Amino acid sequence: MRLLIANRSVRPYLLLLAIIVALWTLDQGRGRFFTAATAFSVLQQLATIGPIALGLGLSMIIREFDLSVGGMMSLAGCIAVLTGGRYPELGVAFAVLFGFAWGIFQGAVMVWLRLGSIGVTLGGLLTLGGLAYVVTGNLSISYPRMDVAMAVNHPLLQIFSPRSLITLAAFLVAAFFLARTRVGRDIYATGSDRRAAMVAGVRTNLIIPGVFACSGMLAALCGSLLSYGLAAASGVALTDALVPATAAAIIGGVSLTGGKGTPIGIVGGVLVLGLLSAGLEAIGTPPAVQDVVTGGVLFLVAIADAIDLDSRLFAIRRFWAEVFRRTAGPGQNIASRIN
Amino acid sequence: MKASVLGVRNISKSFGPIAALKKVSLDIEPGEIRGICGENGAGKSTLVNILTGVYRPDEGTVLVDGAPVNIATPRQAQELGVALVAQELSLCPDLSVEDNIWLGSIRVPFLHKKPELRKRAADALALLGAEHIRLDARVATLSMGERQLVEIARLLTRDARVLILDEPTATLTDIEIERIFAALLAVKREGRSILYITHRLAEVYAICDKVTVLRNGELVTTTGLAGVDRAALISLMLGRPSDEMYPEETRAEGAPALVVKGLTLPGRVENFDMSVRRGEILCIAGQVGSGAAEIIAALAGLVHDASGQVTVNGRALKIGSPARAAQRGIMFVSGDRAAEGVFRRLSVLHNLVATRLGDHSLLGFLRGGALRTAAERLAKHVGIDRRRLRAPAEQLSGGNQQKLAFGRCVERQADGVLLMSEPTRGIDVGARAEIYRLMRTFCEEGYALVLASSDLEEIVGVGDVVITLYRGRRVGQYRRSEVTMHRIVADITHPVNDEYPAELAS
Amino acid sequence: MSEQALSDPWRLPLPHSTRGRALVGIRLVAVLALVAVAVTTPGFFTTVSLFSLLNTMSFVGCVAVGMTFITLSGNVMSFALGVTLSTSGIIFIAALPLGLVGAMLAAFAFGAALTGIQGFVIGYFRANPIIVSMAALALITGCATLITQGHGVYPQGSAAAALQGRVFGVPMPLFAFIVTVAVAQIVLSFTWFGRNLYMVGSNWRAALAAGLEPARIVLGAYIAAGLCTALAGMLMAARYSSGDLELGIGYDYHAISAVLVGGTAISGGEGSAIRSMVGAFIIAVCQVLLLLHGFSTQVQYLAIGIIVLFVIMLQTLVDA
Repeated sequence: MRLLIANRSVRPYLLLLAIIVALWTLDQGRGRFFTAATAFSVLQQLATIGPIALGLGLSMIIREFDLSVGGMMSLAGCIAVLTGGRYPELGVAFAVLFGFAWGIFQGAVMVWLRLGSIGVTLGGLLTLGGLAYVVTGNLSISYPRMDVAMAVNHPLLQIFSPRSLITLAAFLVAAFFLARTRVGRDIYATGSDRRAAMVAGVRTNLIIPGVFACSGMLAALCGSLLSYGLAAASGVALTDALVPATAAAIIGGVSLTGGKGTPIGIVGGVLVLGLLSAGLEAIGTPPAVQDVVTGGVLFLVAIADAIDLDSRLFAIRRFWAEVFRRTAGPGQNIASRIN
Repeated sequence: MKASVLGVRNISKSFGPIAALKKVSLDIEPGEIRGICGENGAGKSTLVNILTGVYRPDEGTVLVDGAPVNIATPRQAQELGVALVAQELSLCPDLSVEDNIWLGSIRVPFLHKKPELRKRAADALALLGAEHIRLDARVATLSMGERQLVEIARLLTRDARVLILDEPTATLTDIEIERIFAALLAVKREGRSILYITHRLAEVYAICDKVTVLRNGELVTTTGLAGVDRAALISLMLGRPSDEMYPEETRAEGAPALVVKGLTLPGRVENFDMSVRRGEILCIAGQVGSGAAEIIAALAGLVHDASGQVTVNGRALKIGSPARAAQRGIMFVSGDRAAEGVFRRLSVLHNLVATRLGDHSLLGFLRGGALRTAAERLAKHVGIDRRRLRAPAEQLSGGNQQKLAFGRCVERQADGVLLMSEPTRGIDVGARAEIYRLMRTFCEEGYALVLASSDLEEIVGVGDVVITLYRGRRVGQYRRSEVTMHRIVADITHPVNDEYPAELAS
Repeated sequence: MSEQALSDPWRLPLPHSTRGRALVGIRLVAVLALVAVAVTTPGFFTTVSLFSLLNTMSFVGCVAVGMTFITLSGNVMSFALGVTLSTSGIIFIAALPLGLVGAMLAAFAFGAALTGIQGFVIGYFRANPIIVSMAALALITGCATLITQGHGVYPQGSAAAALQGRVFGVPMPLFAFIVTVAVAQIVLSFTWFGRNLYMVGSNWRAALAAGLEPARIVLGAYIAAGLCTALAGMLMAARYSSGDLELGIGYDYHAISAVLVGGTAISGGEGSAIRSMVGAFIIAVCQVLLLLHGFSTQVQYLAIGIIVLFVIMLQTLVDA
């Protein structure tokens, strides 16, 4: 049992279980919550946030951070909508190709010019967001193919939709790739200790652009399918995917320090957030509460992962031990006091 | 004589004005364990880097199986069968043992979890006597000795014919060292060769067939160990120390400036005591991993779980905060300038006055003129050119950057304590001499100096008092008049039992 | 030159001074080009364009100065300054019954508290600054939405009118911006705190080892950021006569763009408030020029993004 809790990728599922139990209790058997509709909505949430969280999670696994995923999502939606009129698959293909190319570009800049990912992807975010903004002209471009828009979100087996199934497929591919292939192992190595990996012979200069290409492609896939589903591409609304995606990845077991986390765990993280959101909505709490909860969790995780947490806690414990000792035994021999 | 598996002919390599290797030649036979000995700066690391493709030699050739080769990249070295276990291990802590063994190897296919590869990893561990290490365990959970074995296993799976081990036992327990030796003998029986680089002469005698001694970039000798005793070997390594490097001793003032009792860092240092008087230089002599650098860091306030009693100028000091230590007159010069010493992009001026802003400010505002004057004075004191004051600190050479770090500590107060950790690491001879002179002027000004070092010449030349440290425990204390390099080497390498069990030697 | 460089194929093989000169050269060329375009654009020097330019600049500029403190301390950026701006504005409007001074103090205190908590966690525990600011963004947005129910807050009476006027013939926001830049620059260049800030941003560990207490300095930097942002928030709220969460949207990105374009290093330890002012100015000039040449706001946005990306890539010439 202890082993299960210790496993970072299992924890989100335990959390999921806890949330289900909590919500079921709150629901008190009124059946507001445990419906196929809720499950469908949670999985749709997975389709909207999941690939972003996966891409971001991959960049965090190599100890970097892809800030540009939100911008890619918007722009990819525009590309897909504009080019996918005749053949929707082509639209998605173009978008994903762009995501790939941009990811390689960002990664290459980082490797060649020896720059950190925050700066480069910040520039990427602003550029991509700007491009999306220009392309849409600050309006929504509508997607003429209503049949595709319906099909993409059409419920299958009551709880799935083509979008969520594609997303789950992407996660499965990623999970297989990371667990079973040499490149997947090298990705973890690059994040765990880049210097050691390089010395051992891992081509980290290829891994980094590769990972950013993946996060670009995933963001593009997500954005294009989402835009199809909404039958519109909007330049503005999709830049706030960053916070939920980060929270989902971190809840899912990805560590800020790199080398840890799995796609299955990230799915768990996204489901936790989705369930929280659906659940809170079902029992009538205002949507702003979700923001508070997400923010609170992120804050706690940031502290838990903090570099100096151990030494500060140690100092605090020692301070209180000292206070306790002084108040408990003021007559003690001062000379024997240990620092 | 068997054909040489690896050889170098007249290899030379310089870095700017420093000649790291001068016409070195040697040959290794298959199934030989060759020790490589020499002091810091002797050229061992440079030689290793050339053999593993990190550097290219300025002149000379490398031969594999008698034929000249050009080892241009580490990957080529791997293909030729030359492999290295560096002092700093290259294992990824979050990956499993099996993954780490095969990490970066050129023979791994795309789908890397193959039963044959797993078996070969298990076989390598078994050969090394390490069957108890689970292939799926995360490396972060292994001890240092086990990690060392995993790294060696990696070399075996790469069909390395020559394994180079750089200070493999620096951080290991006795039992782990025995295990490593057994493993190395097993490797030798397979016909592979081992280059064993170490300071620890007892180990050279225990495991090596022959030893090559380097000094100042030159080959002193390659000899079998039969006729050479330890004292002779040490003499070969050290040559004659240069007297001009180390100025005369100054008279120490009476009162102890820094007294340490029972300093303990869990897992690293146990119950360390020392006492330093004003005007005195105390050296804590110990190898990498002995705890000497950690003691200095703890006294400077950089270690949070240190405990013990520390008294500075008669008053107790609670360790754990660098700011508190600084307030009480403790100054710290790190051996790792880039990480802990210098503000690289800021100017030399800003660096020099970094710790004395409070002395020259009014209501929070800095008095620029006063700071400039102070900086000029400090620069003069330590011998940095005034014209360099405005330049960014990163443009200074290593020696000058270290002088800058010292410059920060000058003229603080009459009863300051200066802590140093490997202060002359990576610095050329000329700058070293200047720094030693600086240390003496600090003494004359009344400071107490404590210095952690693994450089034997430095310890013997500079220390008024030397405390030897072995694996976190005090071994001995010597005054300047009693100290010899032989004594120190003996203490810091293996104090209690100088000889390893005879059965281990082949 | 270090040994690393020899075995490292991608490092630009130029000595430090040449790279430094190349950087100065590129910047000079860029500025000259901008000036050339400005001079040849009809209508640029009219009062109307300059006016709108300076106005646009002032609010973003104040936040950019605040962001500068955070970037200088080595903590890259904060995603929570925009929402701090909005909420400070709301507090300002809501506290107007206390009088103008009272409301201003309340807003300053509030802004400082919001960023101060983040600064504490980042400084004392060394938590990841990006994640902490994202968490703060979500928390503050959520709480503020719950409290205000999504409505704006409107002032009672006209106490805020004082902030809408002019000082010495200059619109209040611009005046406040110039004062902010001046104060910030004095703090950075001439005070003990400012000097320590540069050291902490340059090398945290070295600052710690030298006994400088970097945790306190980082806390101070974040509080300074909160104060600057609160000022901008008050001014905006006064200008629009309402406190609303919508007001601060996008300001984080605008502010960090101004900071980076001005030449402050994203890695910390190098830069100044004046540089951020210049950055805000350059961005505003570009925006106006593009507008005058008939480009939409969207293209302006894109242009800024490309400029930021380019400026970041130029950093490679700086890092040794």
